[in-house]
Amino acid sequence: MSTFSIASTTGETIRLAGVSKTYETASGPLPVLRDINLQVEAGEFISFVGPSGCGKSTLLKIIAGLVSYDTGTVEVGDQKPKAGREDIGFMLQQSVLMPWLNVSKNVELPFVIARRQDVSTSRRVEELLDLVGLSSVASLNSWELSGGMQQRVALARALALDPGIMLMDEPFSALDEFKREYLNIEVAQMADQLGKTTLLVTHSIGEAVLMSDRIIALGANPGRTVGDIAVDLERPRRADMIGTDQYQQICNEVRAALASDLAGETL
Amino acid sequence: MTNSVFYRIGLPVLVGVVLVATWQLMSNFGMINEIMIPSPAAIVVGFSELVTRGYFWDSTWVTLQETLYGFAIGVSLGLIIGALTGTFQTFRTAFYPFVIAFQNTPRVALAPIFLTWFGFGITSKVVMAAVICFFPVVINTVAGMASVDDNAKMLFRTMGASKSQTFFRLTLPGASAIAFAGVKTALTLALLGAIVAEFVGGSVGLGVLIKELNFQLEVAKAFSVVLFLAVIGLVLYGLIELLERYLITWKQD
Ligand SMILES: Nc1ncnc2c1ncn2[C@@H]1O[C@H](COP(=O)(O)OP(=O)(O)O)[C@@H](O)[C@H]1O
Ligand SMILES: [Mg+2]
Repeated sequence: MSTFSIASTTGETIRLAGVSKTYETASGPLPVLRDINLQVEAGEFISFVGPSGCGKSTLLKIIAGLVSYDTGTVEVGDQKPKAGREDIGFMLQQSVLMPWLNVSKNVELPFVIARRQDVSTSRRVEELLDLVGLSSVASLNSWELSGGMQQRVALARALALDPGIMLMDEPFSALDEFKREYLNIEVAQMADQLGKTTLLVTHSIGEAVLMSDRIIALGANPGRTVGDIAVDLERPRRADMIGTDQYQQICNEVRAALASDLAGETL
Repeated sequence: MTNSVFYRIGLPVLVGVVLVATWQLMSNFGMINEIMIPSPAAIVVGFSELVTRGYFWDSTWVTLQETLYGFAIGVSLGLIIGALTGTFQTFRTAFYPFVIAFQNTPRVALAPIFLTWFGFGITSKVVMAAVICFFPVVINTVAGMASVDDNAKMLFRTMGASKSQTFFRLTLPGASAIAFAGVKTALTLALLGAIVAEFVGGSVGLGVLIKELNFQLEVAKAFSVVLFLAVIGLVLYGLIELLERYLITWKQD
């Protein structure tokens, strides 16, 4: 699985300027994002790290057009965000596979929903399963797979319509460490070679450093940018980069950025 | 040992044989009043007489019809009302409290009223069966729809699914396992409703037959009809389990 011989649309740019968001809750307004400015180049891989509740998921949902924003402008591939755009693939912490569909039917789902099934669909599904290393389990039930394999199905499904943008909300958090690292490398290489613009939310600083071109550190209450750290590790990324001085140094930079925001807080 | 065929099938069979044998022996030795509790042998004899009579099979057919019509109507309405309740918040707010309130009243108490409204024929029994099996279907359908994962709904939004796509490709299959559990309960309840309604007033049916046999002090035959109803209940349940296995092939989490 080191070469990806699959047709691929290259990434799109994403631009956020002065974006803020306040949720109306039963206990009053809850500001979750304040003045977010972000420019993502086509094909760039960006990770968001920050404490729980700082608005990372909200940020991805805004970009996906699932949640409205109060101020600022958002441009996703030169258009306003809108739910159901075929140029965005979405992945969550849970794989959210339909248990009544087998593995390949799950991957086919986006074609069905978009009414884009045609003679080439089944070949495309085969290619996607091959891409994520699941060809041999195509006809199995999704619940028969391990957590890691289920996440691979979710990845294939997110890539199904060949989106220019991949939004991933803690997709590796539920996996054990070994599988996680392995999938980190695979997804990083894949995003790279397929040229997708990728936004990843993660709790793991190491994972962010291993995979991204750039890391946005967010502070909490309300969520805002407290650091923008470039990761100049060479590509393709490899597992043995973990623990190198350069890797450690970038991890420390991210940590410092996050700590600066927490400094005032009693932990 | 605990997994062997003998253990799982042999043991309950053995217990059944011992119980029936004890019952028979106690009757033989006059330890049980045969007028009140007929012996197993007397029940078998009574039943073998009944099955030669046309009215027995007529009664069976009528009760089955009442049960199945009531089941079909109650389940259909239950699924429709349940789906509406699960889909439209306004509908839920307006009507669901009444469903819950009714669910907790003993619905068989309505049997005499249905008799007045719909007469001694099959209709009052069908209505009773339908009313009694409507509620578990509504409640399980609503619960099944509420159980559909929010993340899955969000994912469908990201894929641009229309309302009907979300309903047919997510909500319906996602709710079906829990909803079907209500349908299974409903089948048992439909038979119960039909029999109770026949007790209250009717001219043909297994419930009517039990009542008449009782009046005639044909207790052995009355017992045999009760056991026959148990068999009908089991067969219906077996059939609906088969249907469930056919419709819901995936594993629940
Ligand atoms: N739909 C919503 N309505 C009200 N509050 C919400 C909603 N979604 C999230 N929140 C709140 O907004 C804050 C940020 O949530 P989220 O974006 O999920 O943060 P993160 O992903 O960084 O943990 C949290 O306090 C959360 O409880
Ligand atoms: Mg989150």
